[in-house]
Amino acid sequence: MAGASMKDIKLRIRSVESTMQITKAMQLVASSKLRGARARMEASRPYMKVARRAVWDIALHNTGAESQYVIPREVKHRCYIVLAGDRGLAGSYNANMFKRIEWDSRDANCCVIPIGRKAREYYNRKGVKIITEVDKVEGLTLEACAEIAQRVLDSYDAGEYDEVVLAYTSFVSVLTQKTKLKPLLPLDTHDAPERTSRQMLCEPDADTLLKGFLPQYLAGLIYAAACDSFASEQAARRVAMDSATKNASEMIEDLSLRYNRARQSSITQELTEIVAGAEH
Amino acid sequence: MALIHLTVVTPEGKFYEDDAQRIVVRTTGGDVAILPHHIDYAAALSTGEARVTSPDGTVRRAQVSGGLLHVASDDVQVITHSFAWKEE
Repeated sequence: MAGASMKDIKLRIRSVESTMQITKAMQLVASSKLRGARARMEASRPYMKVARRAVWDIALHNTGAESQYVIPREVKHRCYIVLAGDRGLAGSYNANMFKRIEWDSRDANCCVIPIGRKAREYYNRKGVKIITEVDKVEGLTLEACAEIAQRVLDSYDAGEYDEVVLAYTSFVSVLTQKTKLKPLLPLDTHDAPERTSRQMLCEPDADTLLKGFLPQYLAGLIYAAACDSFASEQAARRVAMDSATKNASEMIEDLSLRYNRARQSSITQELTEIVAGAEH
Repeated sequence: MALIHLTVVTPEGKFYEDDAQRIVVRTTGGDVAILPHHIDYAAALSTGEARVTSPDGTVRRAQVSGGLLHVASDDVQVITHSFAWKEE
């Protein structure tokens, strides 16, 4: 019957409309959060650059006796600090990160420090060894990062793991985000410029200096990566919700067309019935 | 007149960047003054006061807590988690 199907279509239109309202609202929230997140991300970049150079300078300063934090160990245990989202509905943002780590971690025993609710839930479900966890990426403080950094350094010194990798998503543009694995320990000096023959004075000495500064440095890196990841999450969510909203409006258009057709055909049918009745 | 180029960075952003005549900071070994043409140098900072002498001779004081001082050919960098001017 045309009447019943008209009612069905109307109901579907209404449900799609309410879904669209939600996706639209989420898109707006994501865009406004993205603005703040991008500013924070940009602000954290100079620190990364300056601090990295300083650490390289110090670490490579005494080439004779290299610091214990520069010499790579044979990797049997690896620790991942995983930065993922607090919420879902961000396209493949969270899934990409977990897939990348799963692929990367197949050659060693690994444990994780999940940051963000989605990461925590995922690794709890998978039963991977969790060292410590943080529930929220949004508004992650420097103090929280410092705590993680100190923890990681202590365990690294104790030899509990041989490598520490920071897994985060780097914000390239609103449309592109890239998952990145950045080795934290041992210190990554591949990109470091060749040390010139210039003399450098370290006080008290390079090793003590590095040891003292590393907790702060790692905390800064984790903080910066968290800012980067959070901006990426918002961008991914914005794009995902944008296309969801578009799909919903397409669906509504399609359903309206079907609704109008059904209405037209029911009117036509009624008219034919009336005309047929009058002719008798 | 030779000047040093001072940059103060914190993870929350670049805090300060300007030329200066001189900077005095509290390192773990005591107060250290950096003047132009200083040798490349790195030192651990402890909590204490930093004094920056700008090119016009005025001195600004700031509270620094921990971090690193890095000098590379007149580029002086203070890398810390907390840096705040003390305004009189």
